[in-house]
Amino acid sequence: MKLFLPFLLLIAITFSSQAQSKLTIRGSVRDTTNNPLDYTSVLLLSPKDSALVSYTLTNKAGEFLFKNVDRQPLLIKATYMGHIPFQKELVLPESDELVVEDIRLTPILQELYEVVVLAAKAPLMMRGDTLEYDASKFKVPPGATLEDLLRRLPGMQIDVNGNIIAQGQQVQKVTVDGRRFFGGNTKMATQNLNAESISKLQLFDDKSEQAKLTGVEDGVKEKTLNVELKEEAKNGGFGKISAAGGTDGRWSSNGSYNKFDKVNQFSIIGYGNNVNESGLSWEDRQEFRGSGAFQFGDTGDFGFNSDGGYFIFISGEDSEESFEIPFNNLSSGFSNNQAIGINYNHLKDKKDVSGNYFYSRSDQIIENFTSRTNFLQNNSSFASVDQSLQNNIAGNHRANLLFKKELDSANTLTINAKGKLSTLNSSLNSFQELIRSSTEQSQMERDNRSDRWSGSFQGTAIFRHKFEKSGRNFAASISNTYNQADEEGIQKSVVDIVNSTDPTTYFRNLDQLNESFNSSNTIKSSLLFVEPIKKIFFWETFYNFSQSTSEIDRKVFDVETSDIRALNPDLSRFFDNTITYNRVGSSIRYANKGSNLRLSFAAANYSLRGQFSVEKEGQNLGSVDKNYINFTPNLSYLKTMKGNKRLNAGYSMGVTPPNISALQPFKDISNPLYIREGNPDLQPEVTHTLSTGFDMYDPATFVNFNFSLNSIFFESQVVQNQTIDPETLVTTFKSGNVSGGQRYNSYLSFGFPIVKTKVSAYLSANPSYSRNIALINSLETEATTLSQSIGGSLDFTPVDWINLYAGSSFRLSKTTYEQNPSQNQDILNWSAYTNMNLKLPKAFYLDVKFKYNRFENESFGFNQEVPILNAFVYKLLGEAKKWEFRLSAYDIFNQNRTINQFAGQNFVTSGRIETLARYFLFGVTYNMRGVEVKKLR
Amino acid sequence: MKVKYLITIMLILIVTGIKAQNIVGEVEYRYRIFYAKIYSSMPYLTQQEKDRIQLSMSNPEGYSTRMKLQFWPEKSRYTFGDPYEVQSYSSQVEYYFIENNLQEQSYLKYMDQMNKTYIVRDSLHAPKWRVMNEIRDILGHMCMKAVSEDNVKGQKITAWFASDIPVSVGPEEQFGLPGLILAYDINDGMLIVEAEKITFGEPKELIPLPKKMKGKEISGASYQTLVKEFIQASIESKAAWMWDMRY
Repeated sequence: MKLFLPFLLLIAITFSSQAQSKLTIRGSVRDTTNNPLDYTSVLLLSPKDSALVSYTLTNKAGEFLFKNVDRQPLLIKATYMGHIPFQKELVLPESDELVVEDIRLTPILQELYEVVVLAAKAPLMMRGDTLEYDASKFKVPPGATLEDLLRRLPGMQIDVNGNIIAQGQQVQKVTVDGRRFFGGNTKMATQNLNAESISKLQLFDDKSEQAKLTGVEDGVKEKTLNVELKEEAKNGGFGKISAAGGTDGRWSSNGSYNKFDKVNQFSIIGYGNNVNESGLSWEDRQEFRGSGAFQFGDTGDFGFNSDGGYFIFISGEDSEESFEIPFNNLSSGFSNNQAIGINYNHLKDKKDVSGNYFYSRSDQIIENFTSRTNFLQNNSSFASVDQSLQNNIAGNHRANLLFKKELDSANTLTINAKGKLSTLNSSLNSFQELIRSSTEQSQMERDNRSDRWSGSFQGTAIFRHKFEKSGRNFAASISNTYNQADEEGIQKSVVDIVNSTDPTTYFRNLDQLNESFNSSNTIKSSLLFVEPIKKIFFWETFYNFSQSTSEIDRKVFDVETSDIRALNPDLSRFFDNTITYNRVGSSIRYANKGSNLRLSFAAANYSLRGQFSVEKEGQNLGSVDKNYINFTPNLSYLKTMKGNKRLNAGYSMGVTPPNISALQPFKDISNPLYIREGNPDLQPEVTHTLSTGFDMYDPATFVNFNFSLNSIFFESQVVQNQTIDPETLVTTFKSGNVSGGQRYNSYLSFGFPIVKTKVSAYLSANPSYSRNIALINSLETEATTLSQSIGGSLDFTPVDWINLYAGSSFRLSKTTYEQNPSQNQDILNWSAYTNMNLKLPKAFYLDVKFKYNRFENESFGFNQEVPILNAFVYKLLGEAKKWEFRLSAYDIFNQNRTINQFAGQNFVTSGRIETLARYFLFGVTYNMRGVEVKKLR
Repeated sequence: MKVKYLITIMLILIVTGIKAQNIVGEVEYRYRIFYAKIYSSMPYLTQQEKDRIQLSMSNPEGYSTRMKLQFWPEKSRYTFGDPYEVQSYSSQVEYYFIENNLQEQSYLKYMDQMNKTYIVRDSLHAPKWRVMNEIRDILGHMCMKAVSEDNVKGQKITAWFASDIPVSVGPEEQFGLPGLILAYDINDGMLIVEAEKITFGEPKELIPLPKKMKGKEISGASYQTLVKEFIQASIESKAAWMWDMRY
């Protein structure tokens, strides 16, 4: 009973509100000539946020009807093609029916619609009765002024005196970003403002200056044009500079600046240090190259390469021939490095022009201790120990210019020019000992110096044409590479050979001067044609041509006394070589539903021609004239599947012609203990490669798995056969062909989260097997190496401010010598590492990196441990964290060496290079963008 | 309920036949995605990393895919169109199929997302549109501007609908406006979808329903939860989620 009254009340309220809340709204839409507009959209919106409430269409009589509309503030809006949309707020009646007075739509001025909406593709904005549009959509030539822009806008005119006439009235003042510009002088503004820097134009009637000052409305309106400038270029610059100094005279500094907008990218970078940092980091390289960072080297070599791959990745090695900017080539030893680089990219209208220049210099000292044990066939062995001190001063200028233009939608032209100038001054002091027993030892001291200058230039042009038939493509390329090198050196060695009885041996004390002048020129050209067949098959045909001619002029003088030199006819040589390569091939590709199968076949012809003499234009001492024709098949398969899974398999046959220097019947005795000799009967190396792999990654669970297996079978392998003089222990290397060599390499990895986003683990294994065959003193010897390697790591980020990364890897290489089992080697490398990154309060950070390496070889009792501990404490300062102060400690345990060990065909080596010992650095960094705190990995 | 009323009124109007020729047809859209812009908007990146991405990865043209929408007064179907260029390399088969049924107010999505194939079925819920005061011409149709927001993906959506094509459908997940959506844009140019070609009349080749649908059956609400969790986990582990999900 108690509940009854409220219940009744509730019903009553519900009923009445129900009755009141639903509205019927009707009305009609007409144009300015009073004709009804049918098929017009009529919308009901909420006035406060324009939210769509309901919508309908008018009928033939131009009438519309909304039923059951909730009672709420409403805005009615009608829109019809070619007319200015109409809108107005509705006054809701007491009753549940509202008849809206006739809506009249005004047509949009045809000129305005055509010029603004159609031609400039600029949206029209309605502000009450006025229409606004985005002036930046109007195309004007570069360098155009505001006046040029205004001339293009509908409803705007510039009269002979330079006055602006808008909608028939003269514009009284021009403001920039709402402020008066040159006292409101219209001509000053229109003729001096750059059209490209303008984002928006607004035309309105402003109150007169007098009205503004007095606050008294005088009814006088001034036509005002407001110009809004673009924000850009304020964002596109960033840079940093840092300097650090420390104990033992260690220092390091670097700086970079980048400025970019949509069209231009400019970067400058420089560094200098004596802490072995030579080359750019991945991030620096990306910033320096800008949009060129991810340009893959299009070499214009079409067709398949011996791996069956399609892309050729240029490694970051700072090799003698490379034109690339050095990348992360951290080296051991002691070095002093400087570099400076400038890069500029210009990208506009499918035209890409970029150029960069990079100069780097390094002065490196390497102190090396190597011990090597050579096995002889009678189960005996001898050891050699080499202590050397090298000093290399290298300077490299590199310049690179790229021009790429889409001539039209079908044709693209790429032109690339690269140049490099290098100097290298090197000196080597070495002391070498051959030890057979405590009584039989040979010793040699060497002192070599050389100065080298070299220059290279490469020009490449690639043209690509897409035919009208989609998928039909043609490409042609041509390139020319020219190299020249000039070297001068002195070579001195003092040898003491206990057992030497041969008076004619080359192996003796040396005091020589070398001069060499080398040049080579390579012309390459390739053609490619692709024809699609039924969209899933592609027939490719390619042709490659290359011809390289080279001249090597090496003169060796014996220094008889301090000022008399005599040309050594046994060591001085002039080579004149021409290598010509022609290949024609064809492939069929099948590409459908994630499956990609390619079957290719090519025929290649190599022609190697060369002759040599003691001096240029001297008597011909011998010549090489080889011609090889090969047929190479190639098969590859790649399947991409759902869930980021990929499966690949391939077979390829590779044929590599011998290096022409390995063919020359000539002895190189520049290292008297290891003599190299050419072999004119050498055949090309023929390999069969089989590879397969599978990988997957699940971004939802972060689980990844990877497997690969590669195997190479040598049908004919070019190896270095050795002849070891039993008395002098001098080794002579001569290239030869053997068959039966094999290599297997497999990789297996599995990564998975233990606690999602907090702890993840990564396990990997890398077993490999190789079988190497070579002739040692004319006897075939076989060495096999089986390596087992496993590793694991853990990434731990329990909270945002702790990041811990720890891992370990273990590798055991067992090398077995078929003919000499007593020399079998077990080489063990074990490493463990942990990195910790802590974010402490007050913008303090702590990074600790520890790495432990252990090298073991039981048969030699070799056991080396190298623990390296580095630690960094740094603090960011300032609100935007633009300043960083950093204290770094390197190699806290003072280990100062790098170790390597290797078991080869008939030898085992282990080496040690002295490097930077414990040092501390204190540095300051200023970063325009705020310092980036690098997370591990 | 309200939408259903609207639809019914719309259907009645259309069936009673006023200029009925432009309520059935096919639209080809260019789906242009600007990965560098999206990537550099990830919240875990430092300003320097963002600048670096813009500097080295930016592609002013975006990455284009052709999409196809077929519409009728009572339904629409949407999937990939023919590729712009025949590629001699084939990547995995990817499903992206959406059918909106306006009569039954339901939808079906069959799509590869987040490394799995999902079959999502649920009732239609139109985004909350706000209609703005701007007009623009797309392929000869005067379009009005409407905006909405996707709070899960953090997107500001700007759509342009043609009021003279009174079919309440559109590309991707956009629908529910008084006319066909001919273009839309996410976060001022991170994604731009624009109609390139409209053909009125019954389509010659109907977009077929996926034959054997294999995948995880899930409701729209549960799918949204998955998306939310995926984005959250990706951001926590500093991974960019847009590589694995339709933006």
